[in-house]
Amino acid sequence: MQRQVNPLIAELAADLEPVRPLKIAYGIALAAVAAIGTVLLVEVMEGLWRGMLAGRASPFYFIANGMLGLLGASSALAVLRMAQPHVGNTHDGARWSFGMVSILPITGLLIMTLQGNVSEVINDRYGVSCFTSGTGLGFIVAAALVFWLRRGAPVSLNAAGMFTGVAAGSIGMLAYGLSCPIDHAGHLGIWHVAPIAVSAVVGRLAVPHLVRW
Amino acid sequence: MIADEATLAQLMTNSQKGDQQAYTVLLTEVQLWLERYFRRRIAPAQLDDLVQEVMMAVHKKRSTWDSTRPFLPWLAAIARYRWVDHLRKAYRSAEDELGDHDAAQDSDEEAVMARMSLERLFVHLPDKQSEVIELVKIEGLSIKEAAEKTGQSESLVKVNVHRGLKKLSALVEKAE
Repeated sequence: MQRQVNPLIAELAADLEPVRPLKIAYGIALAAVAAIGTVLLVEVMEGLWRGMLAGRASPFYFIANGMLGLLGASSALAVLRMAQPHVGNTHDGARWSFGMVSILPITGLLIMTLQGNVSEVINDRYGVSCFTSGTGLGFIVAAALVFWLRRGAPVSLNAAGMFTGVAAGSIGMLAYGLSCPIDHAGHLGIWHVAPIAVSAVVGRLAVPHLVRW
Repeated sequence: MIADEATLAQLMTNSQKGDQQAYTVLLTEVQLWLERYFRRRIAPAQLDDLVQEVMMAVHKKRSTWDSTRPFLPWLAAIARYRWVDHLRKAYRSAEDELGDHDAAQDSDEEAVMARMSLERLFVHLPDKQSEVIELVKIEGLSIKEAAEKTGQSESLVKVNVHRGLKKLSALVEKAE
């Protein structure tokens, strides 16, 4: 027996227009432009620290900023992939990077404790400005990722929100960190990582409402 | 019989280019697939609504399918997302008794279907949560009836339904 054609199918077919498939490469380009734009903004506003190129930065400076960069890249990629739903999507790279970066505050606290300088971190006169600037600068990357998610069809909204925050916080802080000449473990491990945690919470709470469909 | 993965992917590729004929065939196949997918995981009286909801979502978000990846995991992710949404809104209806409509799965697709099935999601929930979701959101029992049937207090039933649905929504893309 011939199955009766669902009128909805006829309606949707009549409404069909060609679409340009969402390409993750464009999303990566968008996130990269946002990240580069953030660094350029820091150069214009604060000026990047030339000392790092002159060899005056400690190895920890490069390690910490490298870890933030990797975390930002892996989280942003996870978010971009979430715009295209797929049973079997995993975000293990971003999760492992997140765990890896947690070594920084642990190291910072450990070293400062062993050296008896914990109060120095708390009373760090540049700490709050690094924290607020890094967090604020993250909005550029966050806006790009939310734009991309809204074009897509995210189905893991809470994870998308959290990783948007992590990517924004780490890239915003990396960008601002390139202008910051303080390169000891206490400052980098605490004040340059805190924006990631705060942005992750903000992203988890705010982004799902913006990308729900 | 429902078309295989390769056929569906080809139909979707053509649909993204605006081929209405391919799209009609695709949606007809999608409708059959969804009816089978949701069977026993939604009250029968709500099945049509949910299937139509998913088909509209497929239409609206068709640009998000990547032709380099398989079609069915994309469809299943959208279906799961809408299903969890639907469970949240589920209401009681006296006629919503579940029949045994478990359709036989085509052998070629069986392994793929098993990984994407809704049953796989319930495996990740504690028994107390999956039990009350089934009773309240799928079979349509009241909180009081579910509490009597499971031996949980009414407030515990509510908490377990809430926590279970929250967990389900976080598992939408999970394959294992």
